[in-house]
Parts: sequence; structure tokens; C-alpha cells
Amino acid sequence: MNSFLVQTTGHDPAAWNQAHDRVRDFLNAFVPGDHAQVSRLTLQLLDQAREQHRRDPSVPPVSLAVAQAQKLVAEWLVSNLNLEDQPPSRLFASGYVAVLLSQAFRTAPETFLVSPLPANLKESMRETLLITGPDLKISSMTPRHIDYGPMLDLAQRTWHCWNAREITVALLFWSCVYFVFYWWLSGTL
Amino acid sequence: MSVSPPDITVAMRRTLFMGGSILLTATGFALLLHSYSGQPIFWPDYIVLALFPLLFGQIALGFLLALFGFYDWLRGGDPFHLLRQPWRGKEDVVLLAATAIVIPVFNEEVERVGRGIENMWHSLKKTGQLGHFDFYLCSDSNDPDHWIEEECAWLHLCQKLNAFGKIFYRKRRHAINGKSGNVADFCRRWGKRYRYMVILDADSVMSGPTMVRLVRAMEANPEVGILQTQPSMVLGQSFFRRILQFSNSIYGKIFSQGCSFVQMSSGSYWGHNAVIRIAPFIEHCDLPMLPVPDPRRRHVLSHDTVEAALMQKAGYEVWVAYDERGTYEEGPPNMSDMLKRDRRWCAGNLQHFWFLFARGIEMGNRLQIWIGLMAYLCSPIWLTFLIAGSIGAYDRARFLAFSAGPEDLGVAQSSEAPFLFIITVALLFLPRLLGIISSLPQTKRPGDCLRLFVSSLAETAASILIAPVLMLFHTCFVFQALFGWQIKWTTQNRTDLDLTLSHCLKLYGWQSGLGMTGQILAWSYLGFNSFWLTPIFVAWILAPLTAWITSWRGLGQTLRACGFFVIPEESQLPAELDGLAGDGEDEARPGAPLWPQALLSPYVQAVHLSMVRQRSSLRRTAKPASSLAHLRERLIRHGAASLERKDILRLLGDAETVFWLHRELWSRPDTGLHSSWQFLQSSSGTNLLLRQYLLTEEKSAHI
Repeated sequence: MNSFLVQTTGHDPAAWNQAHDRVRDFLNAFVPGDHAQVSRLTLQLLDQAREQHRRDPSVPPVSLAVAQAQKLVAEWLVSNLNLEDQPPSRLFASGYVAVLLSQAFRTAPETFLVSPLPANLKESMRETLLITGPDLKISSMTPRHIDYGPMLDLAQRTWHCWNAREITVALLFWSCVYFVFYWWLSGTL
Repeated sequence: MSVSPPDITVAMRRTLFMGGSILLTATGFALLLHSYSGQPIFWPDYIVLALFPLLFGQIALGFLLALFGFYDWLRGGDPFHLLRQPWRGKEDVVLLAATAIVIPVFNEEVERVGRGIENMWHSLKKTGQLGHFDFYLCSDSNDPDHWIEEECAWLHLCQKLNAFGKIFYRKRRHAINGKSGNVADFCRRWGKRYRYMVILDADSVMSGPTMVRLVRAMEANPEVGILQTQPSMVLGQSFFRRILQFSNSIYGKIFSQGCSFVQMSSGSYWGHNAVIRIAPFIEHCDLPMLPVPDPRRRHVLSHDTVEAALMQKAGYEVWVAYDERGTYEEGPPNMSDMLKRDRRWCAGNLQHFWFLFARGIEMGNRLQIWIGLMAYLCSPIWLTFLIAGSIGAYDRARFLAFSAGPEDLGVAQSSEAPFLFIITVALLFLPRLLGIISSLPQTKRPGDCLRLFVSSLAETAASILIAPVLMLFHTCFVFQALFGWQIKWTTQNRTDLDLTLSHCLKLYGWQSGLGMTGQILAWSYLGFNSFWLTPIFVAWILAPLTAWITSWRGLGQTLRACGFFVIPEESQLPAELDGLAGDGEDEARPGAPLWPQALLSPYVQAVHLSMVRQRSSLRRTAKPASSLAHLRERLIRHGAASLERKDILRLLGDAETVFWLHRELWSRPDTGLHSSWQFLQSSSGTNLLLRQYLLTEEKSAHI
């Protein structure tokens, strides 16, 4: 039996087990309420992948099976949400948000990736709209000039003109201050 | 209509305040000089004499602020205050203008922020004025888990409250210039849509009626640029936080009332729990670069004081609504977290030095800047004062021991020294007494007065133990800031988790060593004369224990159960704080990272893609940049742990990459994937983000 499978699929059963588990996990990531439907879909997608694998054995079963699953999801979203002509990333983002906000797979688990959807559910999904941010109203906010006053002048001179003259003046100044302070205290006490 | 206080009143109050400060300082200095009468003077004494006015001046400032605040409290409030003007009579007819509630977040606890928004939403809804307010959660989070969780929490919140189009989430791609940059980014993008913004911190909450009243105050008084509230510190569970919030509740109010009394229309802005008039803020309050040579240090770290100064420079008033209720914040849960915060604040406040002498800044702002500067500079000054004083005392003792002078040489001829000591203690502790007296009307049950008094005594004892520890750390922070070690905007921990003893020994152990060495040296050289240093050495020796014990949640809760350190908000919990108190243990995040779900879970990915700016990357068909392609492959083959945080952020910030990774991670065989992805794939339908935020039982809402 195993050799038959290897002959017909070009891969050992482990690869198909892996494909099975991956497709099941992928579908479960939608948190569907109907587990039997997930199992049915998984097997159906695996069969389609096997068909494809016979035609092109170079592609691994996992890739084929997940590609089938993604194709199914894309078709389901396009047919139910009027999302034609959208690039794939937008299609999936908008579609998944619609499913999430409508909680379609929780309220009607039997509808998981089933077409056509009941009209009311379809309507509810189409009504969802994710408002992520209001329209921009751009303002220019730039710092105004501020005059930092004497400290900046002092600092600029220190940073840019640091030389012996400044040092001498500073030393002289502080010596005077210290001397006056000392003289005053000595006289006071 | 203008509410500007009469110039003469402003001038009189400021003259009284400055005059009183100078008079008190001069009195203290004169007493100090006289205490040296008949004694030999050594070089350290000159240092003591030089530093004393600075330190005593700070004590005098604090005392006078408390005294003015107490006086203002006794007379029932300031009749010239903005919120006591005639417009209050027809307050209800003042129409509200569009207001944004802006909450900048940075790796904060997402659930707590969400609960806070929810409570404010309900509170505003009750006022019937919700239509005028929009919420903006402005994220600068640089942790991928926080980023993805914030997006999911935002969606959950919008669904739960039916708030699509009212609550917005924005994540900055380049989080430059910290919180002020975050707020400025909001202003640039959406500022024109609103007349006011209520700025909150991640831990801040304001009640609906308070926000409505403040916005009305702004609307009725167009000359007001910023209206700051005095938030109550709440929700503390650890002993440390309970001490802080108790002290804030008892003494904070009279201090801020005193500040408001002196500053009036040139009040302070603390960066949160305030209402801002957006147009002048955009026009005048973008922060200038500091004139320092190092470009990395040109950004103003502590923006609030400068923004208040710029607003007033532009001719607008800044008021502090010190007696507004319904405005809350949380404090740091332990000493270590407070030090983390202080390190940042210290660097920010020291930068304000540049604005102290800048032209066009109001006197009230200069005073505020000076107080902020001295809050940290006082620590190295105090330390130098203590060292110089000790060396001076030693020199004097040695001189007297070997001198052949008359027997009464060195004996103080007058009673100035004890008198100075008594005055200093009085100036330090009288504000506390005034705070207790002003809090007495809040006591309701028998025994409350006694508990209040005992709590105050315990708080004072804790302050005596903590202050010397902070002095040493603040001294280090001042030198760190001066020598240019870069300080970044870090997340403030708001969870009351106990510190471990090993952490405390590691962080504070050196202070114990210093304290013991100091005590031994002081006893050896100064003998009994070193008694005045003992409280400081004891505080240093006990620093690890103090930090450890004060971080205990159990102790804080037990004391609360016994009625100690209780604040008014705890007697009757305001609805806005309902459900915000975290219980610590439950808040530990799960070990597995959350962000990979943005690549695996279709829902989390869709929410993320909707939020990430739909840039040209989505339309791009060419190959991504080679570095990005390399990162993608590495992530797939070597797992999430192989990438650095900035690389993950880069991948998550590119919509096309997120979409590509989603497809690849699901469709590649196990041999091409890192083993960690297998577990993440199988658990994708049951992960935390889905359970907690996206697939809850609440009825979804559609717009």
C-alpha cells in the first residue's frame, strides 16, 4: 500500500500527513465552529492537491495543499464580499476583517467557506468597515526661534573661543569674588 | 471676556513670595554666620557658607508655598482663579468644541490602557457630550508584542463600545523625540480637526464631567492656552506607592494651591491630565533644539515646562485647576522604578537651564524652571554641604584640641545654632502639619483623625529614610546628565510587583557600605559631634531593606485594611477607576511571543495590515530590498529568536512582507521552516490575542 502511494504521489506518506496537518491548522486558524466541516474541507483540499501533484511532482504536497486552501478562501471572499479587482493582500486583509467583525464563522459555523452564503450573512459581512484613522489634516508644526539670552552667548564664547584670555579673565574674576567673600567674612566674624 | 488677574495682585503675591523667601533665607544665613562667632573658620566652612543659602532657600520656598496654599485653603479658594470667574454661572450653556483625548503609549500594559479608555468613554457618555470627544491612542511602542497587542486591543475596544470612528490607533513608524514628538506628530496629522486636546499618560484617567468642565473653561476663556489639573495618585497597592499617594493626597494639594496662588495665570504644565488649545500649541510650542554642540543632546527631554513657557511667551495663559476632582494618575510602585523615572526627569530638568535666561520667558516660568532645576541640583549641593560641614567640624575639633587659646574658645557664645536648627526643622515639618490640618475635613469615621495622624508620622519616618538614599542617586544622575550619558524615554513600570532582596542588595548595597564607612569615620573623628549625621548614615545602611520592604504589596494592603494611608478615592472608588487596579501576578505575559501571530493568524494579520500604512509596498511587484529579503528568509529558517527587535519591527512595518510571510509560513514544508513555527501554526487558532481581544463574546458592532 505504501509503495503504491509513493508511486502515485511521488512522496512518502509523511509528506502528505504533514500537508494534512498543515491544512487543518490553517483552517483552524480561522477559529471555525464546525470541526466536521474543517475535516471535510481538509480532505477535499488534499485530494485537489494530489491531483495537482500528479501533474507537477516537483512541488511539495504541503505547498500544494495550502495553495489550494488559500485559493478556496480567496474565491470565497471574492464571491461573497464583492472584492473583485483587489490585489491579494488587500483582498485578504479586507476579507478577514469582514469575517472577524461580522463573527460569521461563530454565529453560523456551518457556513465556513461554503458558497453561496445566506443573504443576511453576506449583507452583514459587506456592511463591516474598519475605520482605522480619520482623514489627515496636515499642519505645519515647526519650532520658533528662541533667544537663549546671555547664557548662550557665554556658552558660545566658551565653546568656540576657548583660549587663554577667557581662562585668565575667569580665574581673575573668581579670585576677586573669593577674596571679597573671605575679606568680608573675616571682618564680620 | 478676559479672566486675567489684575497685575497688581500678581505683583503683590510674587513680591510677597520672593520677599518672604529672601527674608527667611537671609535670616537663616545670618543665624549661621553668628553661630560661627568666636570659632575658628576653616576652608570647608566657606563652602558651607556658600551652599547654605541655596539649600535653605529651597526649604524657605517650599514652606512659603505650603503657607500660601494653606491660606488659600482657609479662605475657601482663590477668587481670582480661572475656575472661580463669572463664566461659571452660565457654564452649562457654554458649547463644547471638538476635542481629542490623546494618550501617548510606549510599551505600556495594553489591557490597563484599554480599561482606562473604556471607563472614560462610559463617563463621558453619561455627560451626554461624548460626541465632542475622540480618543487617540498614539503608540511609540518599540516592542513587537506590544505593537500587535495594541492593534488587537484597539479593535476589541472599538467593537465593544461601538466606537469605530471615535477611537483611533496610530503607531509611529519612526518614534523620534519621545513623548513630545509623539504628541507633535498627532498635532501635525490631525490637530486641525480639533480645537482642544486632553493630554493623558498611559496611566492617567479623567472623569467625563471633569473633561467637559475643563473644555468649557477653555471655550469660555479664549486667552487660556493650557489648563492643567492636579491629578490624584491612586490605585497603589505596594507600601511605597501607598506612601506616595497618601503624601500626594495630604500635602500635594496645598503645595499646588500655593503654587497657583503665586503663579496665577503663568502656571505649570506637567505633560498630562491637562487640556491644551491646539492651534497656538501647533504654532508656538514645537520644542526648539538646545544650543549644545552634541546633536544627540539637542532634544528637550522634559517637554512640559518648556511648552508651558512657550505658550505663555506667545501670550496665552496657563492655569492649574488644583481643586478639580476626577483626575487621576498612578505613581511608581517601588523605589527602583521611581529612580528610573527620576533619572529621566533629572536629565530633562537640567536641560531647562537653557531656558532660565532665555528672552521672552515669563517670570513665573523662570521660577518654575528654577524650582525644577533645584529639585535635583539640591542633592549634590546637600552632599557637598554635609562633607564640607563634617570636615570643618573635624578641623575645628583638631584645632581646639591642640590650641593654647582661652578655655572658652570654640564654645558657642550664643544660642544661634540650636535656634537655626529649630527654624530649619520647623520650615521642613510645618508644611506637613498644614497638610494634615487641611485634610481633617475629609475624615468621616471615628478614629480617622488618629489614623491620619499616625499615617503622617509613618510617612514622615519613611521620608527621612528615603531622602538620603535619593540624595545619593540624584547626585549620580546629575553627574550622568552633565557628562552626557544619554537618557531615553523608558516605559514606566506600573505593576505592583515586590522587589527581590537580591535586586535591592545589588542596587542599594553600595549605599550600605558607604553608610557604615561614614558612620565609623564620623564616630572616630568627630565623636559625639557626629550625631547630626547619624540619620543619614542609618538611612544609607538600611537602603536595601527600605527599598525591599516598601515594595511589598502585602504590607501596603494590610495597612490599607487597617485604615492607614487611606486616600479619599479609596473610601468610595470613583467609577472611572473601576477595574483598573491590577493584581500583579495575573499580569505576567505569556512566555511565547505574540507578534508571530501577525504573520500566522488570518485575523491578527488582517488587523495589522489594515493599520500599517498601505504604502507603495503593497503595489510593489519588484523584489524587496535585499536586506529585507534576507531578514524574511532568516525569520522563516531560523525562527523569531534569530532576529533583533529592530529587524522584527522592520518586517512588521512592511505590509507586503507581512503578507508574503503569511503565505510562506503556511505553505513551506517543515524542512524549510524553523521548528518553532510548527508549534505556532498549530496554536494559531487558540492564541492569546484571539482569545482575549478578537473573538470575545461581546456583540460586534458595524458602522
